[in-house]
Amino acid sequence: MARVGVDVGGTNTDLVLEANHGVFVHKVPSTPADQSEGVIKGLNELCEIAGVPASEIELIVHGTTVATNITIEHNGADVGMLTSRNFRDILHIGRHKRPFNFSLHFEVPWQNRPMVKRRNRIAITERILPPDGRVETRLDEDEVMDAIALFKKRGIKSVVIGFLFSFLNDAHERRAKEIVEREMPDAYVCCSSEVANVIREYERFSTAAMNGFVGPKTSTYLNNLQKKLSEQGYRAHLRVIQSNGGISTVEACSKQAVNILMSGPAGGVIGGRAEGVLCERPNIITVDVGGTSADISTIPDGQIKIMNPRDSYVSGHPILVPMIDLVTIGAGGGSIAWIDPAGGFHVGPRSAGADPGPACYGRGGTEPTVTDAQVVLGRMDPDRMLGGDFQLDPELSKKAIQDKIASRLNMSVTDAALGIIKVINSNMALAIRSNSVARGVDPREFSLVPFGGAGPLHGVALAEAIYARDVLVPVAPGITAAMGLLQTDMQYEHARSMIASLTNATEASVSAMNDLLDDLQAECRKDLEGDGVPPDRQRYQRIAECRYHGQGFELRAEIPDGAITLANTTAIIDNFHSRHRLDYGYHFDDGEVELITVRVIGTEQVTPLKLPTIERANGAGIDHAVLFTRPTTFDDGQTVDTPRYDRGQLGAGHKVPGPAIVIQHNSTTLVPPGYVADVSDYGNLFVHRTG
Amino acid sequence: MATRELDPITLQVISGALDTIAEEMGHVLYRMSFSSIIRESQDLGAGLFDTEFNTLCESESTPLHIGSIPGYLHGIQASLQGGKWEDGDVIIHNHPYYGASHSPDIAIAIPVYHDGELVGFSANTAHHVDIGAATPGLIIDIPDVYAEGMLFAGTKLYQRGERNEAMWEFIRRNSRASRQLCDDLDAQIASARLGVRRFKELLERYGKDDVLTATNQLMDYTERVLRQRIEAIPDGEYRAEGFLDDDGKNRDAHLPIKVCVRVKGDGIEVDLTGSADQVETGFNVPFEGSTKVACFCAVRSLLLDAHTSEVKVPSNQGSFRPVNVIAPLGSIFNPKFPAAAEARFTQCNRMIDLMYKALAPVLPQAVIAGSSASLSFASYSGIRPEGDYWVFLEVNEGAYGGRPRSDGPDSIDNLMCNTRNNPIEDLAMHLPMICDRYELRDDVMPGAGKFRGGIGVVKAQRMLDTGFITHENERHHDVPWGAFGGTPGQVGRVELYNHADPEGTRHDHYAKFSAIKVAPDDVHVFYGPCGGGFGDPLERPAAQVLDDVLDGFCTEQHARDAYGVIVDLDEEVVDQAATDALRAQMRSSTRPYADMIVTPVIDAANDERPKMAPTPKPADKAPTTSAPAPVAAAANDDLDAVVQRLKASFGEDWSFDILRHSVIGQTVEVHGQLKANGSVARETGRINGGGTGTLGNRLQQAADDSLRRCAERVLADGHGRYAGAAGGDD
Repeated sequence: MARVGVDVGGTNTDLVLEANHGVFVHKVPSTPADQSEGVIKGLNELCEIAGVPASEIELIVHGTTVATNITIEHNGADVGMLTSRNFRDILHIGRHKRPFNFSLHFEVPWQNRPMVKRRNRIAITERILPPDGRVETRLDEDEVMDAIALFKKRGIKSVVIGFLFSFLNDAHERRAKEIVEREMPDAYVCCSSEVANVIREYERFSTAAMNGFVGPKTSTYLNNLQKKLSEQGYRAHLRVIQSNGGISTVEACSKQAVNILMSGPAGGVIGGRAEGVLCERPNIITVDVGGTSADISTIPDGQIKIMNPRDSYVSGHPILVPMIDLVTIGAGGGSIAWIDPAGGFHVGPRSAGADPGPACYGRGGTEPTVTDAQVVLGRMDPDRMLGGDFQLDPELSKKAIQDKIASRLNMSVTDAALGIIKVINSNMALAIRSNSVARGVDPREFSLVPFGGAGPLHGVALAEAIYARDVLVPVAPGITAAMGLLQTDMQYEHARSMIASLTNATEASVSAMNDLLDDLQAECRKDLEGDGVPPDRQRYQRIAECRYHGQGFELRAEIPDGAITLANTTAIIDNFHSRHRLDYGYHFDDGEVELITVRVIGTEQVTPLKLPTIERANGAGIDHAVLFTRPTTFDDGQTVDTPRYDRGQLGAGHKVPGPAIVIQHNSTTLVPPGYVADVSDYGNLFVHRTG
Repeated sequence: MATRELDPITLQVISGALDTIAEEMGHVLYRMSFSSIIRESQDLGAGLFDTEFNTLCESESTPLHIGSIPGYLHGIQASLQGGKWEDGDVIIHNHPYYGASHSPDIAIAIPVYHDGELVGFSANTAHHVDIGAATPGLIIDIPDVYAEGMLFAGTKLYQRGERNEAMWEFIRRNSRASRQLCDDLDAQIASARLGVRRFKELLERYGKDDVLTATNQLMDYTERVLRQRIEAIPDGEYRAEGFLDDDGKNRDAHLPIKVCVRVKGDGIEVDLTGSADQVETGFNVPFEGSTKVACFCAVRSLLLDAHTSEVKVPSNQGSFRPVNVIAPLGSIFNPKFPAAAEARFTQCNRMIDLMYKALAPVLPQAVIAGSSASLSFASYSGIRPEGDYWVFLEVNEGAYGGRPRSDGPDSIDNLMCNTRNNPIEDLAMHLPMICDRYELRDDVMPGAGKFRGGIGVVKAQRMLDTGFITHENERHHDVPWGAFGGTPGQVGRVELYNHADPEGTRHDHYAKFSAIKVAPDDVHVFYGPCGGGFGDPLERPAAQVLDDVLDGFCTEQHARDAYGVIVDLDEEVVDQAATDALRAQMRSSTRPYADMIVTPVIDAANDERPKMAPTPKPADKAPTTSAPAPVAAAANDDLDAVVQRLKASFGEDWSFDILRHSVIGQTVEVHGQLKANGSVARETGRINGGGTGTLGNRLQQAADDSLRRCAERVLADGHGRYAGAAGGDD
């Protein structure tokens, strides 16, 4: 038996296979037109490398950007929407705030690139009233039929239904859905109360509209991949990693495509966490440095943090589904350094991408990038890129930095290159701060985990800038994200709004909460059982999303095990106070705590990937691991002869003293003077100050 | 203070750190606060300031707060309790005649000490729901500033770290929403204290000298960027005027607004002389805290457009320096104490809109057609069964005028306003109100144009119980202007009726009104103004007009009348033959706005309007010598030769001016004018995406190209009678 993780990135598709006889990794170029081609090719090749027949693979976990790309390219389905009369433009008005304060020529994503064109947003007579959800005006079914006739005439195959106050009473949404499904049996149909059963009309409708927009294509892709796999002789279950870091089935992800919008970066965060857990470092900050961007996430105590729903936007649209709390900034190996007309110095967010790429790639790029700076400083060896498969031209790097930066600032090429690195590191460090210090986390208790091919070149500088405890370099930084796919759980979430005071809870409100928790847990159980998860492996986490009465944003508070009683509501309240203090540095003792949404998360514990231990050093020196020695310039401006070590030749317990560069096929780790890298039992590197 | 110049790399690092501090301060403030006006609308500002009250960094929250805090700090200095700052002080301040933006925007300021020395301030401002004014929430028809509620001037909420309980108790007893007020003040204090901590960390990390040097250089940098943009505008005086409905008391007595924008070299002066005298209600604008700030906002949005600029310019004092503002004391934009001056937003937004109208002839590719440029700010309130007040403030959206390259956005916060609306589901779950309608207006059509104006909103709010409504609003009479052949937009409208009998009770109402008492089920309906169109409607592609008709942004009739487009709605296609015929006929007949269709080419030198100063000397204007971009000089080798030839032929007796420039996609054009020895040549320099570097570099290259072409003609002519204009005029 064997398991495979497949992570599709913009440039490469990374794969990792775990079998009884070992862990195998592979990388193939991505096939953006149809990601499944690269996936199948990579799988077939990896099976051959590992000597495992296709039929023996039991589980394939997939990280995919297919849904995200639909939003970026804006090429989803033509969506029709049924919505409440007198409220046709909730999706057009949004929250009426412009993307910029100071601009006249700004774009408005929800108006310029709507997920549902206004012509296809049809107002239907119906009305449900707050605060109890009673029906004031019944659903006009004739109007629904007229709308369906129009959708058919326009060839629409995806329909979303979003009525006001459906979080209080979903009867009208459900009835309209029945009619649409009856009349348009082939259509992709979803209700706002199914996709995000929570208060706030714009965000709920936007989430449903996004599901209708990306759902049909995403579903086609996943089902097509599953079909191709079985044609190739794979009998494995295909699973997909969701934005919340949990995995789910093809069927569930097809129905709730909106749940996998952030599937892409999720694997990396999970992979980083797993390395931390393995090395008994539960407090980590992951930094996944790619060609154009870096994804940063803070993980306190081994717990993935979920983004505040107020912040979860995709391509300018609010999406109310749980997503891993991460920040993405335009900083990567391809980020371009430039000087503006007033003399300001910038690195990124523009990137040279993969084509033409950095100047040293020799593909016609003339603008200096971060990678060019690394080459000029001697930190990347031109002849060692991808194990020497790809030659870099350092003269082109020098010329780009000389022409575009050094001559204009009247400084040496080396100083200009150091400046580029300093600014990119500063940008990344500030983003790390916004995801840690600004959220009440003290980085001094955290290990920084840099990955992506270029990540470990920046690790020590970033750890210094944010005062992190040390740097933990994963075993295979180039494929950490793919490995993360085999480190997470099956996960289903169900949530519903219930507005009630916790401070002034009553027998009636407590009993309603318990009923709701039971309902939500039953829905999770149904999903898990549908996947064949036995009862003894089901786990449930229960969350009260609360705020102080009068506030606008909820924070998550754990609900203790067992039934809620009048007595133990205080535990929920205390959990909320401490969450508030952590996030904002302040809490209100006498503030009335109000419940807004109840959420239940059902998971199945999946056996995590077992990383093999490496051979022990047993007193052997490290000289045998030295490949060669070359001059290298470090952040303090000093250039010193720096040995290159072959990471594969290092044993557990080895200590690599800086200055050093540790090279492996898909990544390079920089160990500056005054630092040392300790090799762990599993081959991870801990880089920290000497002494 | 250190005089050593910091390198651009360190500068960038400190700039990023400052930016992050301001954002973090703003984040804590709006996430922690209770009133929806702060947490949802983000009606707040936060930042760090030096000992001379210069803005070092400021959060991206609402534009009117950005740039107002220095005025507050000057006002605090002038009124400070006990006359001196002390470590541990927390100051509360909102006095409109001591620099405040207006009284509900309360500032919290904390002095920052480093090694025992005052090094700067951490401060923020936020809009509070109720400060105990004459009427709940908002106020309009009030006699003087004392009716605005509690006024704080340099008052210490904490003195040397000790909480001033008497003052807190006083505040608690003087607001209709005292719990919200006090908790939100706590949120402001938490945010300002965070700023203090971060400021100190920054000083410890980089050293005081380097940080202060960096902040000065960053202010200079921002100023330099803005001055470069101003310099590209031809010198001159540009004027526009409009009027306001009334002051909320003296009904239908229109109030003129006159705007003169003087561009001189790399500075701009906004002169509001001739605008209405101050009024006897609260409809006046505090000069320091609002009039000036609105001008800064107008210039920054126009010249440092965050969407089109590649460079994110640091938000600091440097962006205010090139802008001078004049408004005579005793006028609506600079009232005399003790005039009330709380309802001041609309006047500012109208002034900004008029500045753009004034500059339209010289910046046709940068300005936009007339926007709603007003504000709908409503206060709904009532008394709960328990006997305490509830007060809810709502900012309704506006709409933009058509733009040179795109339609005006619909139903969105306009110009200086940028808040978030409150979810209508959330509102109905917490207050005795319900929203009956919220969508785009369909009773009128926005301004037509090659790019249409934005469509205003219609929002109907029903009160479920007795209570009060105050509406700070404008623009029922002065129609948003159409630009360059676009037709004008639409004015706004206010309606009141009772839900039990809508048709029997429906009536129009003035835009602004103070604390009218309402009965259960009374409905207040706001119809937002619609933006004017930009460019000739007949140039709008017929297919796009069809899209508008299908989407309901345009009626079938309006498509025919305004755009000359005939559509077949059954087949959802354009009737091309009929459209071609109708458009041809329309082109040949007289149309109301046709005379505006051609982009006017302004000859800055021969402009009949009064000039500020004589044409600058050649040395000031020739791009080689004034080259604003220190990095661009390298590309100018052949240009130097051209300049040498000009000098050889004409000595110093020649000048080159940039008349206008445009950036469309990858194409950058600069239309310049060379005058030499009585000759005038105008030529367009164009870079078709082939140029390299930043937008600024490409503009410079296009300007150089323009000069080269002009020089060629003038030098070829030799004797100086050439006055042709070719290639560049559209």
